[in-house]
Amino acid sequence: MIRAPLVKALSALGSPTHQIASRAVRTSAIVAQTPAKAPEKIEVFVDDIPVQVLPGTTVLQAAALVGVEIPRFCYHERLAVAGNCRMCLVEVEKSPKPVAACAMPVMKGWRIKTNSDLTRKAREGVMEFLLMNHPLDCPICDQGGECDLQDQAMAFGSDRSRFTDIHYTGKRAVEDKDIGPLVKTIMTRCIHCTRCVRFASEIAGVDDLGTTGRGNDMQIGTYVEKLFLTELSGNVIDLCPVGALTNKPYSFVARPWEIRKVSSIDVLDAVGSNIVVSTRTNEVLRILPRENEDVNEEWLADKSRFACDGLKRQRLIAPMVRMPNGELQAVEWEGALIAVAKALKKANGQVAGVAGQLADVEAMVALKDLINRLEGETVVTEQGFIKGSGTDVRANYLLNSTIAGLEEADAVLLVGTNPRYEAPLVNTRLRKAYVHNELQIASIGPKVDLSYEHDNLGSDPALIKDVCSGSHAFSKVLEGAKKPAIIIGADLLEREDGAAIHATIVEYCQKLKKPEWNPFNVLQNNAAQVGAYDVGYQAGADRAIKAQPKVLFLLNADAGKVTREQLPKDCFVVYIGSHGDNGASIADAVLPGAAYTEKQAIYVNTEGRPQQTLPGVSPPGMAREDWKILRAISEVVGTPLPYDTLDELRSRLEDISPHLTRLGELEPAGFNETGAQAAISKSISGVAIDVKQKELKDYFMTDAISRASPTMAKCISAVNKQQRQDEQSKQSVAI
Amino acid sequence: MAKFLGLNRLTKLFQIIQECGGLKQTYLKLYRNDDLKIGTLVGIDKYGNKYFENPFYFYGRNRWVEFTPHVNMDYDGSQIPADWYGWMHYKTDLPPIRDGSRPKYKWLADHSENLSGTKEAYMPYTTTPPKVEAWDPSAKKQ
Repeated sequence: MIRAPLVKALSALGSPTHQIASRAVRTSAIVAQTPAKAPEKIEVFVDDIPVQVLPGTTVLQAAALVGVEIPRFCYHERLAVAGNCRMCLVEVEKSPKPVAACAMPVMKGWRIKTNSDLTRKAREGVMEFLLMNHPLDCPICDQGGECDLQDQAMAFGSDRSRFTDIHYTGKRAVEDKDIGPLVKTIMTRCIHCTRCVRFASEIAGVDDLGTTGRGNDMQIGTYVEKLFLTELSGNVIDLCPVGALTNKPYSFVARPWEIRKVSSIDVLDAVGSNIVVSTRTNEVLRILPRENEDVNEEWLADKSRFACDGLKRQRLIAPMVRMPNGELQAVEWEGALIAVAKALKKANGQVAGVAGQLADVEAMVALKDLINRLEGETVVTEQGFIKGSGTDVRANYLLNSTIAGLEEADAVLLVGTNPRYEAPLVNTRLRKAYVHNELQIASIGPKVDLSYEHDNLGSDPALIKDVCSGSHAFSKVLEGAKKPAIIIGADLLEREDGAAIHATIVEYCQKLKKPEWNPFNVLQNNAAQVGAYDVGYQAGADRAIKAQPKVLFLLNADAGKVTREQLPKDCFVVYIGSHGDNGASIADAVLPGAAYTEKQAIYVNTEGRPQQTLPGVSPPGMAREDWKILRAISEVVGTPLPYDTLDELRSRLEDISPHLTRLGELEPAGFNETGAQAAISKSISGVAIDVKQKELKDYFMTDAISRASPTMAKCISAVNKQQRQDEQSKQSVAI
Repeated sequence: MAKFLGLNRLTKLFQIIQECGGLKQTYLKLYRNDDLKIGTLVGIDKYGNKYFENPFYFYGRNRWVEFTPHVNMDYDGSQIPADWYGWMHYKTDLPPIRDGSRPKYKWLADHSENLSGTKEAYMPYTTTPPKVEAWDPSAKKQ
């Protein structure tokens, strides 16, 4: 794992020979790491408990196997071993000195003592050194109560202090750095574990953080004054074992013991990251990641983590109806429901529904049932997909290789997608595979920085045909790979020739597929999309517009694809959702719904894994869960939906598609189903392939919640400021 | 003998009824004040409240006020103005009308009764921002 920076240093030189050299280094490193034959297990004793481990296992891992946790600061399972905090020192019998458990591989027959006098004394000593230069500001520190240093000082530190130097040289003090609007630094608290440095260079792929100076003068920083701007920067807050890096929007807001925690699911991208929503007095204070090896490991993208203040702004808190003077006016629920019901009765079945990117499966089913009962047919998603019946087959729109599976891939082609911003945690998987699995990546589309090296083939759509016919150089790589994968961006398939692109790649993937491995992937970027297709929604708001409905339901549809001009003059638009955005501003009736932290609802992520959010707070004001609103409308119209509780609605979901209620479980779509549709013209037009999110500033605001978030606005202005500064410094160098 | 038969009390009752001006007025007075007393009228303040005194009653009950008729049953101790307050609470035996040494400045504010429970009651406004900011449909989109 340590080799990663070396590899980068070599490949940064750029010449082809160096590339080969770097590949050789990576190969040799991997060969060195993977044992040649079936490895023989060796026996070691942890506190006299025998345990069989593979050679190369560290003392710390061996101890973990028998359930002994050795204290540590710098060691982290997902990062390279640094071994610089010395907190994990343990005694090994017959060894003259205590050994650093995190970095020392075990030898046969070692007797490790994790609780001997020597071990305890070593820990006390280390702790004393750490605390000597650590400020005693726990009462005003944001990490207080969830601080590793605090906990371990209590558990392993000495019971008294020998520090008397306060009047002479005093404690070390370090200037704070401004590294952006998300992460607050109090560098005096830093204990130099370098977890943040390793995270930035290994996981995020941004070598912005580093150390300068030695010994007592060592500092963590960005070398030159600049912002630490990546889409994953929030994770260094979780990694920091002390309060040196803390959450800036959350600073001085709450203490961990005041907070209620609710396990939930993130919906701001299609990854479906598992999160913990921290609330106090009916207010969402912060969002932290929850570990799930299959989805987000233990990371969380910045938008998911920091956009939660958007849940408190631009909210719809009362039903509104458009008055004859053209103004929306707040009314009681009764008035709003009657207004909607009147319009529905007049519509005579000409009813359509559009589900946006934050719609949950329950509400979408309720909307579909309601519209069908009113003899309407058109229920669509706001985002488009390939023309025709592409959504009939589940494998056509899923990330079939699975998020965790992409780690094992050894050749990946990205078509019209920028996973770094469309699904940052899918990108970390690809980067992980790139670093550890020699993954070769090529992309068709505009040149973007993916945080790892990849081959940009160009943005000419003809390249898709070239690759898929096997004539392109990269086809050889794909065909030779054990686990190849092609990832198509969902936005690309919205194009007119999306079906042709889709069909071409599906056909090629039939050739590439291996037993137990499906190389065909669509990377969705809306949390609602897969769920909508699963319950039978069709793709594309243009279908709803083409139907020219008398009543149009917008369920969280805020992307602005439906405009007033495209609809008939007498069309009555009903918006159901949580935020006042594009959808609410064109609506004739606005019905306030609940945001994802306020309802129990199912979302299906891009690999087809249904997961449910749980309510952390109650919907503000008169807002209600979306499906309940639809149920109430159906009652007023006189065609009541046959479910009164969430459980009854869930059993209706089960009737539609049984996998939807098997929460957390992945239902793989059989690959043989990926039928390329018959009679689809495979002519791909010449329009260059583009992606919407090219740079970091495009990433922060993509939906109603993040558009309402002041923190996200600050992020964008910080990125712009950094860009201006970079340009200025470049100009001054040129002069 | 008259005392033994309680006739003196009857006499008092008749006196009170006479003072009040008939049975009906006596009933109304009893209804309004929950008490029937007679005494000397010490003074009337500018709001029309009448102040009485009768040393026949025990100290503490020997001075009382009959509030001005127009407030009806909505009378309240805070309707007694500050200048009569002292006399009512035995701070002084000189009622304000007989006390010439009380200063009368132009800037003295008029008495106001306690407004709690009425529309004019004092209500401090909240200084904490609302937890959720509502969408304003009339606000222009940036």
